[in-house]
Amino acid sequence: MLKKFKIIALLSSALFLANTAFAGETTADWLLSLERMKNVKAVTDKTYAKECGECHFAYPAGLLPSASWEKLLNATALKNHFGDNAEMDAATLERVLDYATNNAAEKSWYKRARKIANSGQAPLRITELRYIKRVHEEIPAKMIKDNKDVKSLSMCNACHTQAAKGVFDSDTVNIPNFPDYN
Amino acid sequence: MKRNHPYKKIVASLCFALACNTAFAADSALDLSLPAATASPKSFMLASNDTLPTGVTTAAPKAEFSEPWMSGDKLHQYMGWTTLALVAATAFSAPGEGCEGAACANQPVQPRQTNGAHAKLAKAAAFMAAATVTSGLIDHWDDFHMEDGFTDPDNLHAMLGTAGALMMMYAVNKSANSSVPVSHAGIAELGGVAMAVAVKLTW
Repeated sequence: MLKKFKIIALLSSALFLANTAFAGETTADWLLSLERMKNVKAVTDKTYAKECGECHFAYPAGLLPSASWEKLLNATALKNHFGDNAEMDAATLERVLDYATNNAAEKSWYKRARKIANSGQAPLRITELRYIKRVHEEIPAKMIKDNKDVKSLSMCNACHTQAAKGVFDSDTVNIPNFPDYN
Repeated sequence: MKRNHPYKKIVASLCFALACNTAFAADSALDLSLPAATASPKSFMLASNDTLPTGVTTAAPKAEFSEPWMSGDKLHQYMGWTTLALVAATAFSAPGEGCEGAACANQPVQPRQTNGAHAKLAKAAAFMAAATVTSGLIDHWDDFHMEDGFTDPDNLHAMLGTAGALMMMYAVNKSANSSVPVSHAGIAELGGVAMAVAVKLTW
């Protein structure tokens, strides 16, 4: 009988031990969850989605570490947010910053967020992350910069059809005007 | 007479898992990145792609798009799950521990089964594990970068998956090529656990 259940015990023990280093309030959630956590967590905060999404795709917070969000989301920095004034009132800014830092790459269990956190980088632009650069480096400029329906790598949801759900798998990529890319 | 320790395989498995865990524990201390990787390289291509033209702030996919029903990534995923299912079936179909010790001295030695359900399932599991690793190498070869260190989920996935497949193949080979029963369950179970952890890390 021991033989029958030994492998189950082994699996459970190994999974638990292999992940104790992720110790945090979401350890059990991650361990026991059958939900796919391969990508990044989709935006769940309405204020964040509204404030950021008014002007651009509301990037999932797990795409940058909290150090980056702190540099980006402060009153001074938002006066010149990549060339635009993105100021917001103090209460809204606090909420947006709290959401971003609480769901930043190093606090996320999602795989791509962990990869970003592991890089140790804290740039202002997601596109400056080594991991993001690497996975896009083989895409020629004609498909992004010179593509009238994309224009920039920062337009994630132009090609990543499930970006709003936090899914960035290659199977979900559809580059406008280049249907046969995959 | 050799004494059988029923828990030694479990202890070995836990030590293995713990050893994997140390890579996570030393996340900040174990910096294996190469100097070139930390020098803030400017991508030759993305640097130009990075600029957002004035007035362009958002975009949405133009056409309806549905995921392909099958792809290299999906195939790798399905093969991995099939491997784990076969590992579980192999473990559950294993014959009993047999009789050891003085009390069994008078019992006749049972003929060794080398072509039963357990053996067939084990061979299928090992084959599927090798095929899964191969498909991963083909489809995800560019996801493995040692400059990201051992703690990188994709790197761990690749290393644990490969190690798991090798352990399973070793166990099958060890048992299949022996004329007498040999201990091989521990290494096979370790292989299965390694593959299961590999799947969870990137699930």
